[in-house]
Amino acid sequence: MKSKSRNFYLIPYVIWIALFVVMPILLVLYYSFFDIDGQLTFDNYKKFFTPVYLKMTFSSFWYAFLITMFTLLVAYPISYLLTKTKHKQLLLLLIILPSWINLLLKAYAFIGIFGTYGAANSFLEVIGIGTKQILFTDFSFIFVSVYIFLPFMILPIFNALDELNPSLVDASNDLGASKWITFKRVIFPLTIDGVKSGCQIVFIPALSLFMLTRLIAGNRVITLGTAIEQHFLVTQDWGMGATIAVFLIIAMVLIMILTGKRKRGIL
Amino acid sequence: MTDHTIIRFEQVTKQYDNDPPVLNDVSFEIERGKFYTLLGPSGCGKTTILRLIAGFIEPSKGKIFINGKIVNDVPANKRQVNTVFQDYALFPHLNVYENVAFGLRIKKLKSNEIDRKVKEALRFVNLEGYEKREIKEMSGGQRQRVAIARAIVNEPEVILLDEPLSALDLKLRTEMQYELRELQRRLGITFIFVTHDQEEALAMSDEIFVLNNGNIEQSGTPTDIYDEPINRFVADFIGESNIVPGVMLKDFSVQFAGKTFECVDGGFDPNEAVEIVIRPEDLEITMPENGRLRVHVDSQLFRGVHYEISCNDQDGNEWLVHSTKKAIVGEEIGLTFDPEAIHVMRHGETEEEFDKRLEAYEEGSYEK
Amino acid sequence: MKKLSKLSTVYLIIMFFILYAPILYLMFYSFNSGGTMYHFEGFTLDWYKELFGDSRLLIIVLNTAIIALLSAAISTILGVAGALAIYYARRRRVKNTLLSLNNVLIVSPDVIIGASFLILFTMVGIKLGFISVLLAHIAFSVPIVVIMVLPKIEEMNTSMIYAALDLGASRWDVLTKVVLPYITPGIFAGFFMALTYSLDDFAVTFFVTGNGFTTLSVEIYSLARRGVSLNINALSTLLFIFTMLLVVGYYFITKRNNKPGRMGVR
Repeated sequence: MKSKSRNFYLIPYVIWIALFVVMPILLVLYYSFFDIDGQLTFDNYKKFFTPVYLKMTFSSFWYAFLITMFTLLVAYPISYLLTKTKHKQLLLLLIILPSWINLLLKAYAFIGIFGTYGAANSFLEVIGIGTKQILFTDFSFIFVSVYIFLPFMILPIFNALDELNPSLVDASNDLGASKWITFKRVIFPLTIDGVKSGCQIVFIPALSLFMLTRLIAGNRVITLGTAIEQHFLVTQDWGMGATIAVFLIIAMVLIMILTGKRKRGIL
Repeated sequence: MTDHTIIRFEQVTKQYDNDPPVLNDVSFEIERGKFYTLLGPSGCGKTTILRLIAGFIEPSKGKIFINGKIVNDVPANKRQVNTVFQDYALFPHLNVYENVAFGLRIKKLKSNEIDRKVKEALRFVNLEGYEKREIKEMSGGQRQRVAIARAIVNEPEVILLDEPLSALDLKLRTEMQYELRELQRRLGITFIFVTHDQEEALAMSDEIFVLNNGNIEQSGTPTDIYDEPINRFVADFIGESNIVPGVMLKDFSVQFAGKTFECVDGGFDPNEAVEIVIRPEDLEITMPENGRLRVHVDSQLFRGVHYEISCNDQDGNEWLVHSTKKAIVGEEIGLTFDPEAIHVMRHGETEEEFDKRLEAYEEGSYEK
Repeated sequence: MKKLSKLSTVYLIIMFFILYAPILYLMFYSFNSGGTMYHFEGFTLDWYKELFGDSRLLIIVLNTAIIALLSAAISTILGVAGALAIYYARRRRVKNTLLSLNNVLIVSPDVIIGASFLILFTMVGIKLGFISVLLAHIAFSVPIVVIMVLPKIEEMNTSMIYAALDLGASRWDVLTKVVLPYITPGIFAGFFMALTYSLDDFAVTFFVTGNGFTTLSVEIYSLARRGVSLNINALSTLLFIFTMLLVVGYYFITKRNNKPGRMGVR
């Protein structure tokens, strides 16, 4: 492939990159310096560092952290057990299948289940606890989020566990390690890349999904995503919305670096 | 069972679901301080035996003893044996030092003691100074040594080696054969080595178990097994053989290829149909009129140390000859051999029956 | 392989139950004549009849389908070009830069994509509606197609291309007679993924759709915000069946691809 074969596939692709990847990010940055009246200003950034916005940012991170942690705690055992089953690929497919169903429909289902007369409350009634307010609580928000993110966490962990050379587990056993020590010293460290990418896939959307907070958490929980939507579509304060978006992008980049993959040679 | 016995299998069977058993009613004993080889084609059950000893799997039937105690229910991490895996199974997230120290850390030894033992083990396998290396920076041969160091550092009574040389190239493999044998002598502990390479088995072992289809076909020293294969499978699997049908006329007299020969085997029924084994290197080329057999040269290959000559006799039997002399393709030549070169095998004879017959006719020959 | 312990099996069964219960719950109540999602009065198909009688909704379904098919088709073309561009990029730096830029939209949260596209379309002066939604869908589908196609190109044996050139093929011949046929399974997979991304997207569409134009996801959101209505249940049952068909189709395409069914998560 010498000089005359110019890489002409680059032309449409680079145009796409310029228009829809580079431009939008620059525009968000540009808009963050304008207030609601179109004046060039740093006020949005000053406002972001007031207690109201900092508290919101902190609580958004806190919820995202809780969601990621619970998702991981539920997903790891599932992935581990899946790799031990006979029809693991089929079962994995069954786990992933619900993730292909529109997220809003799943959230809507929980409006029914967690409603005052829904299945969850009937169950509580039967075991004698009695009807509770479930919908529009922190619990319902975190539960539904974990439900929705579960397959996204399972897939990378499952793949990491599946690629793990089984003779490493044998070797650890052979050298005297109990099951727990084998997990702690061999299995978990060797699947940490899967855990990291799972956390990355869950944490970033958990910071920014606004429809879940609206539908399931009422307006109790405000995440960075909800705030951006609010500023862009409700109060029309694009400048402030863009500023929050800038911080969300920064958070995203930091998380990517933090959970970045360092490929280890797996024998 | 003697005091030297360290491992004993008593009628052990291993079967998965309803598949045919991978190991079928196998009994044997392993003695302390020797180099054993389990030899057989893939799927013969040799690795299954290793995994049963290590404790990775449990027998379906039968008993396994280590040091006189039944260990059927003892998990792998509580057994005094260590394994060198086929793919080495070194932990990729730990460096050389930590790989070797893994077992010691689990035993919660003091760090200066761990340090001393790890360094000693690495010195033993000639890997001093490699402590801080990552596994992926090590070559195949070096990884092999790390795997061995990781096993011996725990001072086990038995080391199990699962085809550890199969991933190495020929030259390195030969080198490691010497090293392993030497290491076993220095350590004085039992090595159980699994391989499908008969040359490797013959070169290294004190004792070889030849396995096929989940059974032990024959066990013995390398020379026993090479010189006196018990059946066609063993003769074929170990070294190259000319195997032709024959008739045992009486003790020390056998007929094959249309002629009667003197031999050194006995204890058969009169006129019993048998199989004759003659190793290619025991055949010598002479002039046709001087040969005990007259054969026609079909083809010839130069193998470096010898010529490999393929011939046919009038009965259609094929004869393979290893000779330092050259033959001419298409010509007729004569083959000579000593009576000792003829090995007679009885159809369907087990190892026990073989041993019994051997004893019986040897006693008989003294009486004469 | 050892059998799972009882406890583990129970755990897996409970997890599978929780995973599927909400979906089955939705479908079950779509046949409820009672009109609520908690008291099953009797069996009815009324909600389905209502659904099919609702011409506004049918137009929305049609809109959604057109957007999905068009955006998937266009983004597949752009994505294949992009994958080839990355493959032919000679310098490692260029290749890595292209790949990183490609992945920006995949890892970006939907709100960011939605908000930034909203700014973009307003600045450029594109009226919010069909065109803006279509452009947005094409834009976020392109990197997905690239990701699906690129591994297929990369596993291609380069000597195959040299063999074609050696046999007298022009560069155009190489593309149409060697490369494209070889990566067809990847292209199909990319198209399918783009299709499902477009069908499922809510957040980006929500930002860039104007007043006059709606897709199914946006419609479901506004209905759901108003509370329970068994129309949505009936709709979700139909969507569920449709999604299953798509997944099965995708599964067979990847199966034919000879790779063990490794499926992406949506």
